[in-house]
Amino acid sequence: MSRATLGWIVLGWVGFALLPWYGFDRTAVPTITDYIVGGSALVHGLRGAWWLLPVLLPLLISLRPAALPTRSDNSTWLIASGLLGLGLIVLQGFTIGLNGWTLDILKALSGSNGPSQAGMGYGAALTATAFLIILCHGLAARGWCRGDAFVTSSIGIVVALIIVFVFFPVSTILASAFADNNGDFAPVEFVTKFMDKSIWGLDCLTSDLRCGVAWNTLFLGLLVAFGTTALGLAFALIATRTAFKYKKLLRVMSVLPIITPPFVIGLALILIFGRSGALSSVLWEWFGVPRSRWIYGLPGVFIAQLLAFTPIAFLVLIGVVQGISPTLEEASQTLRAKSWTTFLTVTLPLMRPGLANAFLLGFVESLADFGNPLVLGGNFEVLSTKIFFAVVGAQQDQGRAAVLSIILLAFTLGAFWLQHAWLGKKVYTTVTGKGDAGIPLPLPRRVAMASYFTAIPWALFTVAVYVIILVGAFVRSMGRDYTPTVEHFLTAFRVENTDHGFFFSGSAWDSFFATVKVAALAAPLTAAIGLLTAYLLTRQRFSGQRSFEFGTLLSFAIPGTVVGVSYILAFNVPPIEITGTGFVLVMCFVFRNMPVGVRSGIATLSQIDKSLDEASLTLGARSATTMRRVVLPLLRPAIVASLVYSFVRAMTAVSAVIFLVTAEYNMATTYIVGRVEAGEFGLAIAYSTVLIVVMLVAILAIQLAVGERRLGRRSASTSASPVAAPAIP
Amino acid sequence: MNQMTSLSSLSRSSLSKKQAASVEFRNVTKRYGDVTAVDNVSFTIEPGKLVTLLGPSGCGKTTTLRMIAGLEMASEGQILIGGRDVTHLSAADRDVSMVFQSYALFPHMSVLENVAYGPTVQGVSKKDANAMAMEKLEIIGLKGLEKRSPSELSGGQQQRVAVARALVLEPQVLLFDEPLSNLDAKLRRRVREDIRELQQSLNLTVAYVTHDQEEALAVSDRIIVMSNARIAQTGTPRELYEEPADLFVADFIGDANIVTGEVVDGAGATANVLIGGVNVQLPRRGASQGPVKLAVRPDAIMLDDAAAAPGKIMGTVKKASYLGTQVEYEVESPIGDLFVVQYGRKDPIAPGTPIAISFATQRGIAIVPGA
Amino acid sequence: MKLKKNLVAATMLAGSMTALSFLSAGAAQAQGALVMYCGVQEEWCRAMVTAFERETGVKVSMTRKSAGEVFAQVKAEAANPRADIWWGGTGDPHMQAAEEGLTVEYTSPKMNELQDWAVRQWEQSKKRTVGIYSGALGFGYNTELAASNKTGDLKCWADLLKPELKGEVQVADPNSSGTAYTLLASIVQIMGEDKGFEYMKALHKNINQYTKSGAAPAKAMAQGETTAGIAFMHDIVTMVVDKAPIKVVAPCEGTGYEIGSMSIIKGAKNLESAQKFYDWALTANAQKLGAEAKSYQVPSNKSTPIPPQAPKLSDVKLINFDFAKYGSSEERKRLLSKWDNEVKNLPK
Repeated sequence: MSRATLGWIVLGWVGFALLPWYGFDRTAVPTITDYIVGGSALVHGLRGAWWLLPVLLPLLISLRPAALPTRSDNSTWLIASGLLGLGLIVLQGFTIGLNGWTLDILKALSGSNGPSQAGMGYGAALTATAFLIILCHGLAARGWCRGDAFVTSSIGIVVALIIVFVFFPVSTILASAFADNNGDFAPVEFVTKFMDKSIWGLDCLTSDLRCGVAWNTLFLGLLVAFGTTALGLAFALIATRTAFKYKKLLRVMSVLPIITPPFVIGLALILIFGRSGALSSVLWEWFGVPRSRWIYGLPGVFIAQLLAFTPIAFLVLIGVVQGISPTLEEASQTLRAKSWTTFLTVTLPLMRPGLANAFLLGFVESLADFGNPLVLGGNFEVLSTKIFFAVVGAQQDQGRAAVLSIILLAFTLGAFWLQHAWLGKKVYTTVTGKGDAGIPLPLPRRVAMASYFTAIPWALFTVAVYVIILVGAFVRSMGRDYTPTVEHFLTAFRVENTDHGFFFSGSAWDSFFATVKVAALAAPLTAAIGLLTAYLLTRQRFSGQRSFEFGTLLSFAIPGTVVGVSYILAFNVPPIEITGTGFVLVMCFVFRNMPVGVRSGIATLSQIDKSLDEASLTLGARSATTMRRVVLPLLRPAIVASLVYSFVRAMTAVSAVIFLVTAEYNMATTYIVGRVEAGEFGLAIAYSTVLIVVMLVAILAIQLAVGERRLGRRSASTSASPVAAPAIP
Repeated sequence: MNQMTSLSSLSRSSLSKKQAASVEFRNVTKRYGDVTAVDNVSFTIEPGKLVTLLGPSGCGKTTTLRMIAGLEMASEGQILIGGRDVTHLSAADRDVSMVFQSYALFPHMSVLENVAYGPTVQGVSKKDANAMAMEKLEIIGLKGLEKRSPSELSGGQQQRVAVARALVLEPQVLLFDEPLSNLDAKLRRRVREDIRELQQSLNLTVAYVTHDQEEALAVSDRIIVMSNARIAQTGTPRELYEEPADLFVADFIGDANIVTGEVVDGAGATANVLIGGVNVQLPRRGASQGPVKLAVRPDAIMLDDAAAAPGKIMGTVKKASYLGTQVEYEVESPIGDLFVVQYGRKDPIAPGTPIAISFATQRGIAIVPGA
Repeated sequence: MKLKKNLVAATMLAGSMTALSFLSAGAAQAQGALVMYCGVQEEWCRAMVTAFERETGVKVSMTRKSAGEVFAQVKAEAANPRADIWWGGTGDPHMQAAEEGLTVEYTSPKMNELQDWAVRQWEQSKKRTVGIYSGALGFGYNTELAASNKTGDLKCWADLLKPELKGEVQVADPNSSGTAYTLLASIVQIMGEDKGFEYMKALHKNINQYTKSGAAPAKAMAQGETTAGIAFMHDIVTMVVDKAPIKVVAPCEGTGYEIGSMSIIKGAKNLESAQKFYDWALTANAQKLGAEAKSYQVPSNKSTPIPPQAPKLSDVKLINFDFAKYGSSEERKRLLSKWDNEVKNLPK
């Protein structure tokens, strides 16, 4: 038995006998004895909370292998202890709630309301984790996952987290799809809601009536997925394979939209293309093109989503394009393939995992996007806005929201399945343990031209959008009154120098600090869990892998509003009572944004030869060390992608957090939405500008901290002086 | 503390610091779903020996090797290294190193970092780890290239780096997974001799996977021939060549003519076998009276273009190829078409010539039991 | 290299410390605290909080959300309520919460100082919600665009059907916005259900977009994206005060109105503070704060000075809005699905 196992057994005891088992009553101020021993499960148990005492049994069981570490049946004891412990904790947590028994049967049986208990605290969390890891160590001792306790524990923890923070809340809300407004089971109502004409109608094909919202969503999603993948590829190719002068600038610019708070791109588009927008005015006054409202509807949403999601495709694809082995391209060329043919038959197919992942992300993002359709949708309705207003709109119909969510989920599932079918079982390894002496192929002219022609106008357009945003922050009222002013910044970010030091009196400071704090916590967690999951999915084989993978996508696919409501339903009552804390915001962000880490991690990992990990293992490095020293350095592009993405998303997400923010943890975006609602575009844009700057700084810091991946490859530019070793044996 | 031990290990000669360990498989089976990759395999590799796992692709030899490394876990049975049960130990916990077919050099590290990786992750200080790595690079003849990145080395050099990296921890067992498959023919011969020399001078236990029987015969102390997830035969190269256990081994190791004969007597250590009317005395190998299959090596058949004689089978040369050191013939005969190699003969026999066939009974002809 | 490692370690340490401090958040709610969900604009919410804290010493934790969002949240939290009081926001979700028993009855000593409409709503909700302000529905038009479109003066609901306004009128979708539902219910009450729906169908031809948010048409008018827009008059007034070229119209046929309301959440942890706030929020002093925060609704306390910019209710022909009938979820569902089927999907 390893020292790690022993350590977890000790921690299990610490959680049970020392730390406070329950979360603190939020209206009281805890004393020091509440923290140590006084609030522990042991003390509670002896003082009458009898249901906590059975947990002692698995804790005692775990002592057997600790006392006799050389016995061969230790794995059995560990597994028994872990399973029993987890089972008991879950059982008592869910049967005894804040108001007594949670099941009516128990109330009827005992004839009373039963005992009550608060939500779990540090102690319960620690003990439950300890049981989980003891279980996983036991399984590893049985030879699961090649006997690797790190791998089994990682799987155990990720699975447990996904169950708690994805399946549990999501299932609570999806269950309401089958319930009527009183909460009773009503499958017929589900069918009626599901088959509704406003969802599936196809009238737009035959008449000028509108089509169902499901078709709109699907159509938009496919358009955006194709568009973002193509643009992302163009940017990635230019950034990695050409000698384009302003590459760096292009890269920064392509990333700008991702760090823009929602609504702002939409607002900027209106200010350019709207009926009184800048461009429309020019066209009308100079060329007599009549002003129109074309931007409201599919075109507007499409453009805004392209702007917003291309960076994600770019971030996924750049790692993949960099990773393609030049030798393979050289091989193709020596087989007399022209560079265009090589690109088409070798380079492009090798990018398949990246393309498929970029496509999937674009599609799912478009489906879940809420801000842009809200501002620019016009009469073009999509599922995400429908769901939002089914929850908060005049109908107040949560069941309908759940039904629509199920449809949205089905689309995501379909995309996920298609992606798998397309990638198939082919091998896309291009980073192998053999040194690769090839030189990356310069892009074929056709491809280079196509890339330039798509990427550069797009980049210019992006610049235009951001000029508008920047101007908007410094004038009184964009579109009406162009008097320069810094009044918006003063309102939001005034700092007064008082006698007691600086006083942040601006109205935005609170939400600003809370947002930065939450984002800074969520980003590393998201990246860590995401990449760990990607590693498990690509490098380990275990049963249920496919459903595990799908589980990681689930919370991403469900619209934020639904996730927000489901988090309240799930986490507002014991056993896990965490609403109102910053913790729930962090967890919400982690599990909403984790899929990006998973996707980009999978895309990059599937290019890295598995024998590199194995070589490290046989050299005595455990999986954890292997991850740190071999896998992570090769994963740098994916790390940057997921860190940046999760930080940025935590700063810019709206819909999920609207229900989770509290007075202490108000988020920047809800503040901005409030400004937009109040028509104070200037203030909203000014705040957004500040956020953009913060995010830019953060991205630069992340780039700097993580660094570039060294593949020891020669680049086209250094090829003039070949450094190949003389072939002395 | 750490430094002390590593320093003392350095001061001792790097040669055979540790006792080489044995590897033992006891009824090991590996299944992937419905597919059985390795089926109830048992064998022992003696300490300090080089044993080859030989067989056609898909026979289970690489899976067997990976099970020794701990990269695959046995579904059933026991694996022992140096007498210790390691069946459920992870790769990192086994004192085993491996040289991969693709070399698996870490592309983001220099040659030195690659070789020093093992000791570094074991907690040896960077300085000592580098010293250990340099020592191994010197043994392997790559001193001076340690700053390069793997992509800047030739294929043979990369292969050596991979070997140095595997050697640096002085493992109880060293594994090679088709290490020569990416090298050209000349280099292959050199490197395999280097590996053999290294193994003998460092007294290492080595398990070596290959599908090339010539390579196997050249380097091995013993060979384990695998076929269809099972062990077909275990033995020294000579045993395998001269006493193949079955038709598969006879055919896979070297070339063999499979001919039918008949045992005429019922007992005794040697059997009288009639091949096409010629009586040959061979070790019995458990064969009872009646028809048997025989493996006849191409060089165990003598051709005589002089004349027909009693005790010889008559045949005709169909084709003759002159290869310098030897001449190869295809011969038509009553016992079937034969492939024959003759060494040291000056003038090849022209095709169409009738010849008399006889057998060199001392070697190269064996009864194949149970066939 | 070493430095980087230390940096990473330090960051992680700092991170976990913050995480710990996070978990125990909310402990600040000491005695005399109040958790408030606020349904109006940020400034007004803040002004109310600051004033109340200054006056009573009760520490208020305020979260601002739209009325629909507050309702969804209160409903989701019903098992373990987080908030004590829900102040502001259009009356419908307050009525709905009252109907579903999410809020509790309360009779404030200040009831006699209130306008009739506020008291009436309180009675209709079985004492569970009370009016704090009201705002009449109306429309506005961008005078510059109206001139270029030659629409002439617009004074009545009927004027919005002018062919010159084809594709020039904006209103929210009643499915998503309480404002638009108020329009639907008002038109039905003014003209009768059949005629009302005829009107909505005719109006449909002039609508360029059903927006999601009720106040969006006001903003679109200010930006020149639409000529005319239907919204609450005080939302349009906010734009006028911001110097947008808009004329606010109180329709000649009469119009409906909303009652911004206040309710105490059932299971409130700080019931006493909630009641204290409730009483205070009904005073003229508290209600004055709205106009100061640029919100021009009509306050419910009779003695509150009405802001000069506010559309005078005396100039507006208000109908006798039946909140009980049109606020009930049954009637709402019926009207909304009728509108969906008969109006929204019509070709233009």
